[in-house]
Amino acid sequence: MSNTSSDENLSELLRSDLNKGFRMLVEKYSSRLYWHIRRLVILHEDADDALQNTFINAWKSIGEFRNKSALYTWLYTIATNEALTLINKRKRNSAISIEDLGSYFENSHEGSSWFDGDKAQIMLQNAILKLPDKQKIVFNLKYFDEMTYEDMSKVLGTSEGALKASYHHAVKKIEKFLGES
Amino acid sequence: MRTIENIPGKNPFKVPDNYFEEVNHKIIASTAGSGPQIKKVVILRKISPYLLAAASVTGFLILSYVAARYFTADKPDSPSVDLYAVTFTEPFVNDIDIFTLEDNAAASELPDQLSGINRSEIIDYLMLENIEINDIYEIL
Repeated sequence: MSNTSSDENLSELLRSDLNKGFRMLVEKYSSRLYWHIRRLVILHEDADDALQNTFINAWKSIGEFRNKSALYTWLYTIATNEALTLINKRKRNSAISIEDLGSYFENSHEGSSWFDGDKAQIMLQNAILKLPDKQKIVFNLKYFDEMTYEDMSKVLGTSEGALKASYHHAVKKIEKFLGES
Repeated sequence: MRTIENIPGKNPFKVPDNYFEEVNHKIIASTAGSGPQIKKVVILRKISPYLLAAASVTGFLILSYVAARYFTADKPDSPSVDLYAVTFTEPFVNDIDIFTLEDNAAASELPDQLSGINRSEIIDYLMLENIEINDIYEIL
């Protein structure tokens, strides 16, 4: 990823002009973080809440951010935690189960207002929904965000070897599901 | 067999029109009135020498009290030793479990296709899959 040099400039700007730097940070990362969260929580309203919480938490702790990690991986870590918090809250309240979310895909149609996937993509999303949460994150970061294992290791605090194995295993599970469907 | 390479990698989700412009404004507006929590750190840093001094004095007083009680009281077998043993046993046992697990994994034979992968990484991976440590022990 070519985030390093532009993130260094952004970190400099955050030190010299915090408000301007933060505005640029939001403009640069809101869309990427939104899609990362959305793929995990599925519903737009949940992703919207989690995205706003991500940036509010980033703003609150930006004073403690001193280039200990890259801005990019730091923000992804906060966003992932926000998404997981929301998923766990949903599991506790059991208002919407995984099966319900799966049926949203089934009932959606191409060109609908919130999901525009064809039949193959509906099947892919249903297969991803069946993965354990952490494996789902690993798969999404690699497959959709094309994140390197090195960066993913910083985001998730797990060794690169474990992440490679987890992604490989996730692909096998998904392909098995696609084969059965 | 259908593979994920056959599926176009485009993003199938959609957002309302102008969503990103609006949410960016909302986020910036919600943080504009409040400063980040840098001041708390600065204040904490400023008073930390005083906190340190207060903690030292408190620690000294507690030690003095304990020492005075110890040297002035009769000395039957102290139950507090058992209390400490109970407090520290559990995490220590967990550490031993993980070390034992890694030792055993190192001694066991792995299939050829896993030969290039570090054994502690396999343990990391299995724990990432929410597999219980006892089950990992059984597997390896």
